[in-house]
Amino acid sequence: MNRKAIREDLNSRVFNAFNITLLVIITLVIIIPLWNVIISSLSSGQALAEGGFIFWSPEFSLENYRAVFQDDSIWQAFFISVSKTVLGVATHVFFCAMIGYALSKQNLRGRKLYVAMGVITMFFSGGMIPIYLLIKSLGLLNTFWVYIIPALFSYYDVVILMNFFRNVPDALEESAKIDGAGEWRIFLKIFIPLSMPAMATIALFNGVGQWNDFLTTKLYITDQALYPLQMKLYEIIVQSQTQSMQNASSAVIETTTKGVQLATIVITTLPIVVIYPLLQRYFISGIMMGAVKE
Amino acid sequence: MSKVLRKKGVSLGAVLLAIMLTITACGSGGGGGSKSAALPDLDGRYTPDPSTPAWKLDTKKETTDLTWYVNADWWNTDFGKDTVTKKIKEDLNINIKFITGDDTKLNTFFAGGDMPDIITVFDSNSAVAQKASTWALPLNDLAEKYDPYFNQVAAKDTMNWFQQKDGKTYGYPDYSNTQADYDSGTIPAKTAFIIRQDVYEAIGKPSMKTPEEFESAMEKIKSQFPQLIPFGFNSIGTGTGSLGDVLQDYLGVPLEDKDGKFYNRNLDEDYLTWLKTLNTVYRNGDISDDSFADDGTAFEEKVKSGKYATIMLDGVPQQGGNLQTFMTNNPEDKYIAVDGPQSTVGNQPTLNQSGITGWMINYITKKAKDPAKAIQVFTYLLSDEGQALVNFGIEGETYKKNSDGTVEFLPAVKELQLTNSDKFKKDYRMGEFIFFGHDRYKALNKDSSPEAIKQMQEWGNGKLKPHFILENINPDQGTAEARSLSAIDTTWNTTLVSLIRSKTDDDFNKTLDAYKKFLDDNNWSKIVDIRSEKMQANREKLGIK
Repeated sequence: MNRKAIREDLNSRVFNAFNITLLVIITLVIIIPLWNVIISSLSSGQALAEGGFIFWSPEFSLENYRAVFQDDSIWQAFFISVSKTVLGVATHVFFCAMIGYALSKQNLRGRKLYVAMGVITMFFSGGMIPIYLLIKSLGLLNTFWVYIIPALFSYYDVVILMNFFRNVPDALEESAKIDGAGEWRIFLKIFIPLSMPAMATIALFNGVGQWNDFLTTKLYITDQALYPLQMKLYEIIVQSQTQSMQNASSAVIETTTKGVQLATIVITTLPIVVIYPLLQRYFISGIMMGAVKE
Repeated sequence: MSKVLRKKGVSLGAVLLAIMLTITACGSGGGGGSKSAALPDLDGRYTPDPSTPAWKLDTKKETTDLTWYVNADWWNTDFGKDTVTKKIKEDLNINIKFITGDDTKLNTFFAGGDMPDIITVFDSNSAVAQKASTWALPLNDLAEKYDPYFNQVAAKDTMNWFQQKDGKTYGYPDYSNTQADYDSGTIPAKTAFIIRQDVYEAIGKPSMKTPEEFESAMEKIKSQFPQLIPFGFNSIGTGTGSLGDVLQDYLGVPLEDKDGKFYNRNLDEDYLTWLKTLNTVYRNGDISDDSFADDGTAFEEKVKSGKYATIMLDGVPQQGGNLQTFMTNNPEDKYIAVDGPQSTVGNQPTLNQSGITGWMINYITKKAKDPAKAIQVFTYLLSDEGQALVNFGIEGETYKKNSDGTVEFLPAVKELQLTNSDKFKKDYRMGEFIFFGHDRYKALNKDSSPEAIKQMQEWGNGKLKPHFILENINPDQGTAEARSLSAIDTTWNTTLVSLIRSKTDDDFNKTLDAYKKFLDDNNWSKIVDIRSEKMQANREKLGIK
């Protein structure tokens, strides 16, 4: 009896030690490159030109960030990025949730047809040019709404939500109906709060997608005032690469293309890193404990 | 200005062609092909005059808005804020809205049919350029109807070179050098073998012309300067850096065989001797493995910090800024051009420069709202007056003329260019508006090249040789031969690297044999025939005997 316990104890210790080592290695593999990017972005061009891997900068400098932020239009781009992400995510999640809610009901008329239509969109796309022509004839070219409307729907997300809604006990819905709640109220007051983990997951994925998306801009936007941060930073990087091409016989250039690139990486990733912990609290399971007596 | 910066040539493919065809089929009139759209009349705006540029005659009161698409993300889209573009805006009474993008964006224009007025692309061999007659207006007709002065400022040879099958020319390039330009001696060389002066002196200024001399010089550098990489070269990327045709030109490998047919310069004995030498140098540890993997940026950082003792450098002006930085940071040191590897059979260098094809190429589209204004812009930018503006700015305000015909920036402008290039670009923007640029104007201004590269350019005087006959001789896009050629080129790029990095002489020969076999297996003889034919056509176009 006692012996067995000790043996188990030893086994589990070995297992734990192995686990901890493995996880530490994995974590380091993730953190070291990030650390290198952050430190390098804070280094002067001279230090970077020395090359090699940097753990600690020989020369700290904010020049790279100054080079990025000296362009006034970057704030406008930042505003566009934030508003398109906030509005885009909110509408996308709500819209997909509505469809998911409807499709999760077995008694919906034509449900099979809708599902089939949805599945087709998952596998086939019209291609770049037809989509461009569609966006053009919808009059969405060069408008802010091109960031929002085409991004409203994703059948993939609908399926996730639909399955989540199916897990909500029927009894909950029935009791609400008996208390006199309509579909809207049930959807808004019961289903959405209960499906917060799914909502948060989709919001996070979609938010990262919206934040990092620049292809939409590239294809449909020519008006600089509507450029999001990504496009602006892309331009800054490209222009820093072509500095030498312009034969500018300038003296010491404080920044290097690499430095500017790293600074933009930090600037674009930071908001996502900041937002993630805030979403963390929604990823909890077991919300429905005790909701229904079975 | 070389093609170093040219975008990766993404071929626009069949999609685009299909779309173009549909557009021309369902476009207005649907004439397509060689029939040009009827050009609108001037309705008494002005009477064209062959001896006066039309922009001086045009009486149009309201400002014309032009949209100008540039197929490059790095183009600066500002207009009308700096000295140069402000003057263009005033003189021509126009407002230009620049749109930048890549091939994807270009595709959407053709797909959506809402074309800009002017389009600039970077590859006169791309499908878009080949099909220009379906979407652009012929410059000859535009000039005849609105601005005959255009024919005075456009180079005849260049116009002939870009003539399409219907006998009309649709696009006009920048940096297109004709035989006359080469003869005039105003084009600076862009290739040089350079060495750090301190290194050169420390190892006793040896000659490096023969393979043996070169090898021993590299060994000396390694032993005396262990922290430096003895020999460097342009970033290879997906091409050959400066060790393929650039080195062949430096050695003076013939451009054609004795019958005027296409000659595979990659298999030239003289060149292969030097490749074997580079292989020895590599095996001695005097070439860094990093050099094969570095991208353009990494290479530039090394130039800037003087990591290489010697460099086989192509695109000297592009590295001007970096070489200048090195010189500024190390006042007692700089890179200088010396005679590097020379032919083992007595050929003279035949350095290449921008050819007659030039670099960017500009078109006026059929959708242009005011084609008369558009051709006026072309004429203006091509004329000496326009070129003086975009290169030097405004006389008395940014530059002064010297008695010998050269120009120089005023001290305050020069100062700003040296100390704050960002502000210089924002306020003045000289030397940047390059749509119709030409090297001969740069030559007038000794400030247009940084101090660091002047000696390199002087070294190249008299060593240039036009490569016109070799321009645009590849099989037409979409043919089987074109596909074979692209496979062959890719193979050559990897072969070159493998040759230099061979572990033994035996490996070297094996690699070379594999390349030769690949040629035989991939239509090579057909490609040679096509190229020889096209070389003959080039001779006829340019009247070369």
